[in-house]
Amino acid sequence: MTTVIMRTTARAIVPIILVVAISLFFEGHNLPGGGFIGGVLTVTAFAIVYMAFGLDFLERGILGRDVDPGKEPSRDRVVLAYRRLFAYGFAIAVASGLAPLLFGRPFLTQTYESLEGIPIYGYLGISSALAFDFGVYCVVVGGLLTILSVVGAE
Amino acid sequence: MSPDLAMVVAAVALPFVAAALTPLVFRVLSEGTGFAGTVVALSSFGLLATQYGSEGSVSLKWIPSLNIALRFYVDGWALLFALLACGIGALIFTYSPAYMHGESGLVRYYAALLAFMGSIVGVALAADLVAIFLFWELTSLASFVLIGYYTADDSSQYAARMAMFITVGGGLFLLVGLLLLSIVAGDVLGPGAAFNLAAMLEEPDAMAAALRERGLFLPVLGLLAIGAGTKSAQVPLHFWLPNAMAAPTPVSAFLHSATMVKVGVYFIGRVRPMLVGPEWLFLFATLGLTTMTVCAIMAVASTDIKELLAYSTASHLGLMVAGFGFTSVYGAETGVFHLLNHALFKAALFLVAGIVAHEAGTREIDKLGGLRHDLPVTAVITTVVALSMAGIPPFNGFYSKELLFEAAVEASHHHDIGLLGVLYPAVAVFGSIFTVLYSLRFLSLFFGERPEALGHVHRPPVTLLVPPAVLALLAAVVSVDPQIAVDAIVQSGLEATAVDSQEMHVGLPTAYSTPVGMSAVTIGVGFIAYPFYGRVHDGVRGVVGSTPPIRPNWWYDVIVEGLSDEGRSFAEYVHDGHLRTYASWTLGATCALALTGFVAAGAIAPTEFGLEATVPIALVLLVAVIGAVAVARSDSHIAGVLTLSILGFMIAIFYILASAPDLALTQLVVETLVLVIFLLVIEEIPESYEIGIGNVGTVVRDAVLSVAVGATAFVTVLVTTGARPDGPSDIARYYAEQAVPEGGGTNIVNVTLVDFRGFDTLGELAVVALAAISILTLIVMRGRGDGDELTDMPADGELPDGELTDDERTGTRSDGGTSGGADE
Repeated sequence: MTTVIMRTTARAIVPIILVVAISLFFEGHNLPGGGFIGGVLTVTAFAIVYMAFGLDFLERGILGRDVDPGKEPSRDRVVLAYRRLFAYGFAIAVASGLAPLLFGRPFLTQTYESLEGIPIYGYLGISSALAFDFGVYCVVVGGLLTILSVVGAE
Repeated sequence: MSPDLAMVVAAVALPFVAAALTPLVFRVLSEGTGFAGTVVALSSFGLLATQYGSEGSVSLKWIPSLNIALRFYVDGWALLFALLACGIGALIFTYSPAYMHGESGLVRYYAALLAFMGSIVGVALAADLVAIFLFWELTSLASFVLIGYYTADDSSQYAARMAMFITVGGGLFLLVGLLLLSIVAGDVLGPGAAFNLAAMLEEPDAMAAALRERGLFLPVLGLLAIGAGTKSAQVPLHFWLPNAMAAPTPVSAFLHSATMVKVGVYFIGRVRPMLVGPEWLFLFATLGLTTMTVCAIMAVASTDIKELLAYSTASHLGLMVAGFGFTSVYGAETGVFHLLNHALFKAALFLVAGIVAHEAGTREIDKLGGLRHDLPVTAVITTVVALSMAGIPPFNGFYSKELLFEAAVEASHHHDIGLLGVLYPAVAVFGSIFTVLYSLRFLSLFFGERPEALGHVHRPPVTLLVPPAVLALLAAVVSVDPQIAVDAIVQSGLEATAVDSQEMHVGLPTAYSTPVGMSAVTIGVGFIAYPFYGRVHDGVRGVVGSTPPIRPNWWYDVIVEGLSDEGRSFAEYVHDGHLRTYASWTLGATCALALTGFVAAGAIAPTEFGLEATVPIALVLLVAVIGAVAVARSDSHIAGVLTLSILGFMIAIFYILASAPDLALTQLVVETLVLVIFLLVIEEIPESYEIGIGNVGTVVRDAVLSVAVGATAFVTVLVTTGARPDGPSDIARYYAEQAVPEGGGTNIVNVTLVDFRGFDTLGELAVVALAAISILTLIVMRGRGDGDELTDMPADGELPDGELTDDERTGTRSDGGTSGGADE
């Protein structure tokens, strides 16, 4: 399916998808979106890259490494990076839950801060839940990409 | 005087701590670790001894919200049992290094033995139902490890599994009994006493009355009896005990004669004041006397000295249970006193059996004899303890057996039991005759002719001799003056187990009474019958050998083998390697469980529901239905995937129309991802189905299954949404109102996910992570079967070597045959 049409389309839509995913992630607290949806959408972007350019593209094209085609998929550097991503994501989520304990609050307590008078935005609400949501995002992206690339390489 | 919490807890905890440290100790002391065990056992003994004379309960906080505490109760009965466990434990630890010399796995052995001792002390002292159950099952677990010590040996494995199966299974009955007891206690004595056995035993009459009132008396009695009976090897579950002789002899001495099997007897004595009554008498006296007689007969039929002792142990446990079964004070005296006497002589006998087996190299009774020349000290020890086991006056076993006869005779005075009043004493005498027979047979190993075939018999090292000698000495002291033992501890044990305790006096009878006559008959017939021992032995063996169904062991084998065969064939049927079979079973079972649950909970009620769909929703759903039909009818993969996506996107649009934007967004994104992944995979699989649709049966099965799944999903949605006809529930309103002030976000769904229910989300994250890890593992492990191709895979430290198991088949891209094969 690595046709020219497919590749051209992918080049155009993948950045858009990624931007949308990131914006969904950030505005999740006030509008539809959030870590899970943003994460799944990001994975969709990667899946399209895979579809258009093949599984080895990331290694060769972006990391500039030669890939041994017969090598085990689970030991690819990219897959290792995905695995790290979901492990770190989980760590971030747990750590953000543990942080309130330092202030004598229960596990996973969240708080928020409203900032007024920020340039361009004017008003900005910063929520501590963002850290937790970021963990969610990382786990979803890392986990799904691991599954995708390992199963896909089979 | 009330007990000291620190001392009691230390006595229980010390063996466990020592068990955990065993690997370290073993590095320093090697085979001398046994002596470290002796020190631990003596320390626990000393700690408990400081509590001598105290009575009362102490507790540590454990689970306060459930009123469960680590509560210990100290009185004469608990101390008697705990001190026996520690004291005999110390002797066993002293005996072990010489006996287990040169064996491997000694760390496991000593650690398990220490934990075992700790759990027995725990059972003895625990006064909280949960703690009792915990320690109770810990003894089973530790004994499993100890019985299965020779892990490579089949009979050892078999015996360990059997002991585990029977005792842990019995423990579950006990658990149910304890829970029923706690429910009643929570109502009668207040919630604080729900698990507090000490509090229950302070109000035995109130508890018994409440149990009877609720009709729970018999169930509780029965359940506790099953628990105690399995643990204490009562007929018909006695057969695990003789099998357990597969354990090393010191273990047998400790576990199967002195302590663990007595846990059941101990517990019967513990709850006796609360549950005693006519049912109690009938149940335990019958059970105990049957066990006593059956096992004594089986002991006579034994050919192995340890087998003889094991059956004899079960027989004596029956004696104790029967003793506690008799409701008179003599009954309690029998139980308490015989527990002590039996521990002294039986542990010594097992240790002697160990010496004989170790030095003579055989345990066959027929091949042994005249050992007094080679083992003179052992012969003296054996004489004392074997005659004690036989119940010959003036040895200590005589006194407690005399008490049993007295209790049996007395039984008819206390309750109107009709014919049983005659039958009980008769059976007691009949069983005791066999006891005399096998005791004499054991003693005869040291007397008479020395068989020619018996080779040179070594002198045992002193550490093998001291422990049985100490026990024999104690037995001799009790024999000479039983009142010493009575005053020291038996009297206080009696007060804890008897309803109407009185000053206890034991001594040699000076005048004729019925029990004395019974003893005379027992001993006389025993001695007269002894010359015909061989004939009795052969006769019993012949009967038992020719009719397997009278052996419970045979039933055990039949049932266990039958169950495992059935299980195996059922497993093969359920997961036969075909993905579709797995899916059918999983989906079918889920539907059945869910629907049964709804029916059982009464959630499904015949209701009218109006179809109030707006035109756009109806249209969207119509397209979805058409898509669903098209999926089923499509004959190529691409068409199938695309039509399935139509269905998914329609559902997303339905969510939008039903004002659930977040859900719709998720559905859209996931649907897109799934579609993309399908497209990615589709390159690799054949364009259309290569396999036929199957026969009519398959079609019907699949149709039924899909209808069931659809119906279940439909009903589930109806039931779960129909639960709140009056608009949003409180919790939903709370989330809606508090989202902005508490979470600072206007998207309720997201605020709920990360602020209010963050823990749920964290759990879901774990699920995603686990799924990824599982898939990694599955793929990586796939080549495991062909281990010989592993070596050429380079290891680079990221994964353990064992995981590098990909073979060539996996390395090349799957050729379509794989997925087709998985489908077939």
